Amino acid sequence: MEAYRQEIIVGSVVIYMLFCVATGLWAMRRTRDSSDFFVAGRGLGPIVIALALFSSTLSGFGFVGGPGLVYSIGVSSFWMVVISSTGYAVGFFLVAKRIRMIAELRDCLSLPDVVAARYGSDAVRFLIALTIVLGVMGYLATQILAMAVVMQAILSGTETFANVGLVSCVVISSAVLIFYCVTGGIIASVYTDVVQGFIMMSAGSLILMTAVSVFDGGMQEATAIILADDSEAIMPFGSAGVMASLGWFFVFGLGLAGQPHLITKMMMNKKMSDNRSILPMSLFGYVMAALLWISIGIVMRAAVIDGIVEPLALPDDAASTFLSIFANPLLAGVVFAGLFAAIMSTSDAFLNIGTAAIIHDIPTALRGRSVENELLWARVVTVLLAIVAAGFALYSHYADATLVALLGAFGWGTFAASIFPVVAVGLNWRGATVAGAVTAISAALLINFVVQLSSIVPPYGISGPLVAFVTSMILFIGVSLITKQPELAPDIEDVLRI
Amino acid sequence: MTKHVIYCIFAVCVSMGLLLLMIGMADSVPNAGGQPHAEHPGMVIGADGAARLAHIGSLAFMFNSLLLTLVVGLCVLGVSERYRSRKFLAGMGGSWLFMLMIWWMMFSTHQEFLLTGETDYFMGFPVPTAWQMYGTWLGAIPLIVMYSYGFRTFIYTREDEAEFDALLEQAARNSQQN
Repeated sequence: MEAYRQEIIVGSVVIYMLFCVATGLWAMRRTRDSSDFFVAGRGLGPIVIALALFSSTLSGFGFVGGPGLVYSIGVSSFWMVVISSTGYAVGFFLVAKRIRMIAELRDCLSLPDVVAARYGSDAVRFLIALTIVLGVMGYLATQILAMAVVMQAILSGTETFANVGLVSCVVISSAVLIFYCVTGGIIASVYTDVVQGFIMMSAGSLILMTAVSVFDGGMQEATAIILADDSEAIMPFGSAGVMASLGWFFVFGLGLAGQPHLITKMMMNKKMSDNRSILPMSLFGYVMAALLWISIGIVMRAAVIDGIVEPLALPDDAASTFLSIFANPLLAGVVFAGLFAAIMSTSDAFLNIGTAAIIHDIPTALRGRSVENELLWARVVTVLLAIVAAGFALYSHYADATLVALLGAFGWGTFAASIFPVVAVGLNWRGATVAGAVTAISAALLINFVVQLSSIVPPYGISGPLVAFVTSMILFIGVSLITKQPELAPDIEDVLRI
Repeated sequence: MTKHVIYCIFAVCVSMGLLLLMIGMADSVPNAGGQPHAEHPGMVIGADGAARLAHIGSLAFMFNSLLLTLVVGLCVLGVSERYRSRKFLAGMGGSWLFMLMIWWMMFSTHQEFLLTGETDYFMGFPVPTAWQMYGTWLGAIPLIVMYSYGFRTFIYTREDEAEFDALLEQAARNSQQN
């Protein structure tokens, strides 16, 4: 079997991609209007939502960047993972019920729709849509680039496809992504998420078993080796220190309820009461998949320190090196399919919300109505958005990484700082005002932009997104408290009371 | 009592902002955010943990204690005022204490290690890290249990469902009239 390692890996990825194409074709017949395209007609069951939620949370970063971060800075990066239980809990307590109620009551297609209904303001709708578009471009570009780089690495190990270039890999991977997103919209997206979720959970648990068997003494031997080398790396705050760790706790934990690609999925379930089972199922799935993040990172750091493995050229090589040295070819195939699943499940969610922002939310904010024939335009813009993001990705790779890095700043942290106060707090506090929302979103965007552009490095590992998040929370509540209490529409008043 | 929970949340956020400011202005320690490993490129080491916490240890402890308070405060905010019963608040209080206890155990066992250089292991990790790894994950489980098992009591009761259905019917009637 070892002789066919590369063929098995390529075969697993090809089977997975064919599945995505088939799902797109199947979902196309179920997508009749823009409501089906963007929110699946609000008719999805609890298992589908739970798997779609967690698989969209864990992007390709979790499979490549995550183990690389543990390799590089030790336990510090655990904080991005272990906060998942807190993050999901806060998200469900604050968002799941009311976003679903407003979505059904006002027939909302997107998060900015919900926000506009809550605040009765197109300015807030516009700012949220703008934040989403900026964030989506950065996220999508990095995800597409990651997908192409991994594909090229896999193909380079075969004789037949060894010379396939990066541009071809971008084209192939983007084509599959675009196909199922365009044909089946969010329906294809969430049903591929279900399989993607199962693959990721299987990959996580199998990798843990493999990782534990690398050292005779199991995980304890690996952590003891790291402890002997640099105790701080394996202590609770890791190499990056206490404030970097707690910053991640804040931004990744609370911030989960501010991620538009995740909370939009809370609008899609058929029955509100399904939320009671969606929460624990999502968390379970996430924990299983995230085992890969932690176990590969720890074992690879210990293996390099112990001299079992040569030092890595880049921390991000941790996962691929682990798979090539320690994993059975079949497991490597599952994990590589899982990696594509992780990247695609996040990318399709971003494509969907980005498209909604462009064809539905921004036109509605500017001229009071969406475009004519939304379904057609949704499909056209999905293609264009993916092409532009792929272009950004290639430009970033070959010419100048600044643009994508800048857009990348509008990632998780900016979504958290801009959207969390306005949505998560605003849906539960009737005293929240338009002035508070506009101030909080503007401040969050500004702080993140300034920190990114000026390359400011705050002391003790304090991060820009942490500062932006705390500031936007203070401004949102503070400005709302001192501005005039709003007159809410009667139905929204009722939703906030229920 | 919980009608003004937003003021508590605001106070916690302002306190966290002030703590961030104090930490930012505290005496700096070289390489507090880590330094390159001498032998293995790409790896970062933390080196002297005691020195890194010398000026900001207690501030960081307070910061995370406030963060955990904020988490619970936000969960309270997410529940309708009429369902914030004594039973619910007791559950939330218990969850808060549970999370604080885990945080205290993580912090104090780490401090102990910094003093003695010795640690036991629990399920593959040094004890302070096990508190972080397993404890933080488990810390929010009471909140999740309260959400799932208390769904029909605190989150979305049968009365809420009936009220919402009536709202939907009203909205449908209104759209037909228009």
